[in-house]
Amino acid sequence: MALLTMTGMTKRFGNVVALDDVDFNLEAGEVHALVGENGAGKSTLMKVLAGVQPPDAGSMTLAGETVRFANVNEAQAHGVVMVYQELALVPTLSVAENLFLGRLPRLVDYRTLLARSRELLAEVELDLEPDREVERLSIGERQLIEIARALAREGRVLVLDEPTAALSATETERLFALIDKVRDGGVSVVYISHRLEEVFRIADRVTVLRDGRRVGTKTVAQSSAEEIVQLMVGKAVRRYQRPGRSAERRLGAFELAGPGLQPTTITLRSGEIVGLAGVIGSGRERVLPTAFGLQGSARWNELVIGSPREAIGAGIVLVPSDRSTQGLVLELSVQENVSLATLERLQRFGFMQRSREREQTRTWITRLSLRPPEPHKPVRELSGGNQQKVVIAKVLATEPKVLLLDEPTRGVDVGARAELYDVIDDLSTRGLGLLLSSSDTEELLGLSDRILVFRGGAVTTELLPPYEYEEVVAHVTGAHQLA
Amino acid sequence: MSRVRISWRDLVGRFGLVMALLALVAILSLLSDRFLTPSNVINVLRQISINAIIAAGMTVVIIGRGIDLSVGSLLALTGVVAASLAVGGLPAGLAIAAALGLGLVMGVFNGAFVAYAGIAPFIVTLAGLTIFRGMALAITDGRPVSGLPPIFMTIGYGSFLGLPVPIWIMLGFLAITHVILRHMALGRSIYAIGGNEEAARLSGIAVRRVKLFTFAYSGLAAALAAMVLTGRLNSAQPSAGVMFELDAIAAVVVGGTSLFGGKGGVFGTLIGALIIGVINNGMNLLNVPSFYQQIVKGGVILAALLIERLAASRRA
Repeated sequence: MALLTMTGMTKRFGNVVALDDVDFNLEAGEVHALVGENGAGKSTLMKVLAGVQPPDAGSMTLAGETVRFANVNEAQAHGVVMVYQELALVPTLSVAENLFLGRLPRLVDYRTLLARSRELLAEVELDLEPDREVERLSIGERQLIEIARALAREGRVLVLDEPTAALSATETERLFALIDKVRDGGVSVVYISHRLEEVFRIADRVTVLRDGRRVGTKTVAQSSAEEIVQLMVGKAVRRYQRPGRSAERRLGAFELAGPGLQPTTITLRSGEIVGLAGVIGSGRERVLPTAFGLQGSARWNELVIGSPREAIGAGIVLVPSDRSTQGLVLELSVQENVSLATLERLQRFGFMQRSREREQTRTWITRLSLRPPEPHKPVRELSGGNQQKVVIAKVLATEPKVLLLDEPTRGVDVGARAELYDVIDDLSTRGLGLLLSSSDTEELLGLSDRILVFRGGAVTTELLPPYEYEEVVAHVTGAHQLA
Repeated sequence: MSRVRISWRDLVGRFGLVMALLALVAILSLLSDRFLTPSNVINVLRQISINAIIAAGMTVVIIGRGIDLSVGSLLALTGVVAASLAVGGLPAGLAIAAALGLGLVMGVFNGAFVAYAGIAPFIVTLAGLTIFRGMALAITDGRPVSGLPPIFMTIGYGSFLGLPVPIWIMLGFLAITHVILRHMALGRSIYAIGGNEEAARLSGIAVRRVKLFTFAYSGLAAALAAMVLTGRLNSAQPSAGVMFELDAIAAVVVGGTSLFGGKGGVFGTLIGALIIGVINNGMNLLNVPSFYQQIVKGGVILAALLIERLAASRRA
């Protein structure tokens, strides 16, 4: 009998159905992989399991007992523990304190605490001093400590959400060894991943979700990478083709390198949209911050780009992945945000040229059809899609040659998304060169003139239209290597 | 029915400060018939001039999400430097210019540690607070400097168009600060950095240079206030200005500028300084013992912020 059974799980966010009548079961002592594209519902299903979000419908039994978790603590009390992508450790506390965080006695006896911690670390074969501060550990070590902590809470079900995204190859091996050990000890592991080679390496079974539905559960030994990709993508083979536009003039080339990114050259023509594909940790997510002078080292046509100022000076602008923390000053108005990157050109003898500023803002409000078209509204009060338009207006006002778009539609609703695609498409017809980094495959296929696929910190494949949806997914997830 | 409804919460939110000041004035003029007289009003304005000048500089720093605790000590240092140079025979105008320049330089010193070394403003200017005080005491051997040339008397006691010179200096400095903050690209950069430093940096704003400026400006403000104080006392005291930084911060915060940066302005700071000044003046007229005055002053600061906080949460 299964250790855990989830039946008919349904979860809606507004009018978006994130989970639609999903069944899922987990045997004792198995590693069960959960795969699917972004937005397929993997994380939502696990959040329901771990008590982070209550389901709208559905039931759950754990070891034969019907359970319903109202919060994380209740789930943990039943031995269901989730290890998050964003690590949930307190960096300034010691390993030992973190292991027992939230369960420390009122009066802490450090000798016992350290002794218990040593036992626990030995159990997971982690050679670490428990009195080390967590902030001095590598990401991989932190991840292993999280698992140790889960075990300290007598976890029966361990949920790992993309655990290898930030790990090196050796750290990944250690993690796999630990997962094997934990499974042999009778603990069940749910393993969420985008990387199929990992799934085939350590999982016993794999469940595929697509658009909030379960589309299949397979025994890994009897399945193949093609079959899994087929399930992830769906039966209908979709082909994508950009309306034929001949990208003419060569704009230039980026030469990039840095942490997590091997030396890479990307050439760009005017009017061209180059898509960057790859899972988190593939190096794809490093390309744009590097090209904008935020990390690593970058050259654009031999010119060294060492800071955002230098990048903007060279005609390179970035629409960052996080609007509210990197793109906008939420307290300021639409107009003040639009002017932010062009202050130097809107001033004369240091004084703001109000009429020119107004005119610039009005132009962009019209061109991007910003709603509401009010220059003095605080950007905080705009919708996600309109906030993103303000960021785009801000960087385009500098009259750049190269536009770097980092996850441009994250947190933007479907209608506004289509509108942003029109804007992006329109920009390419005006002679800009665009680099589009996205974890949304559909978005990449619909917009890119060519797609560079990243794995292990380097470009492994260049794909040209017409694209096969499956082919792109196979390259991104590494299913190609397994075939 | 398209009548514009003016909610009174909205009014409190927008004009709460001015209303609080007017209420305070009304109450005090009922309690004392000496309060609302032309000479006392000018008196209050002159009394707040030093704090308002320092607070204007502080406003610039705080909008940029910094803080400057060194201004009281810097006031003492620049005061004794100006006085010593003048007494030592340098032309008074040059002595004053040198002291203002020194204020600027010491502000740059603070700002360099904050902007280029990345040390927290609180710590840097706390160090500045003791360093500048120590320098002021060392230069003068702990003794006041007196026997100043007459220009200092003019600064402290002169008047122009019926208003005392300190009030003109205050109004002029507040106006310049307002223009920088609201009409110059530099001011826009300060608001942007205080509101979201990362977004400002990614927009190509020279964040470090702008931060450096805010501290330099605060240093200049402290030196300017020192000239007024030296004029008023007709001597320079190395022990002057103790705790002035706190009065300045109080005026800024009561005036509605957020300690978290990105919001506020120098008009609010003037009102904040006036509220504090009016309370001090009123309590003196009513013969409230000075110990109790401190308690009342602290209470008023808390009350002002509480009202502000409530108004803000209602609006959100």
